[in-house]
Amino acid sequence: MNQKFYPEQIKQLLNRSLAQLDQPTLTRLRDARAQALARHDAHSTAPAFAWATLWTDHRHAADSHHKSHYLAAIVLLAALLFSGAAYWHHTVDHDVSDVDIAILTDDLPIEVYVD
Amino acid sequence: MRVRFSILAICITLLLQASLSVAAPYKSWTQLTPVQQEALQPLATQWDSLSTKLQKNLLHAAKRYPKLTPEQKQLFQNRLEKWSKLTPEQRKRAREKFSAFSKVPPEHREQVKQMVRQQEASKAAASGVPPVTPVR
Repeated sequence: MNQKFYPEQIKQLLNRSLAQLDQPTLTRLRDARAQALARHDAHSTAPAFAWATLWTDHRHAADSHHKSHYLAAIVLLAALLFSGAAYWHHTVDHDVSDVDIAILTDDLPIEVYVD
Repeated sequence: MRVRFSILAICITLLLQASLSVAAPYKSWTQLTPVQQEALQPLATQWDSLSTKLQKNLLHAAKRYPKLTPEQKQLFQNRLEKWSKLTPEQRKRAREKFSAFSKVPPEHREQVKQMVRQQEASKAAASGVPPVTPVR
């Protein structure tokens, strides 16, 4: 039991054992190997395909996310510009009205200021 | 998704508010408040035919009417009709002249006012109608 085997010896022993196996056993072993290899191939390609699908979905989701952010930013900017314009308009009107009331209540008659 | 929808909703609300504030239709005479009607009384019959811009300016001015002195209130009302009959260009020029005159040093302004008052008094004496310009 304590005999030490080197890799080369193990290989020779296995080959010798293999030569002694009967044909049905060899056939079953070959089939089992083929099935194992097929399972291995399926296992190694499936995750890659799954990852590819996930990545594409993620890309689409990210694109859609960016588009809606972009749209929201445009609408927000438009709203800000419009509000600013409205506020400016309101301020100008207010200033004009201040001058109007000053003219209408001034010491001097309107005719002095009218051409 | 809910946050994005909220942002869009806020933006649309802001846009609507801004557009309403810019393009708000002005009220007919019967829709004015009693204070506005009191301030703009001389224009009661022609109010609805005034331009939207003039109505808007006058409504702004009417807000300050309650704070005027009785003398200023009288001047305001006496001049409203004449003011409303000016063309927009004339009103614009009048505002420019008034603003320019406001920048003249007070002593020079007083001299000009004195001259105008004298002219008004002589015209009134010639026509027999008392001047409308207040003596201050």
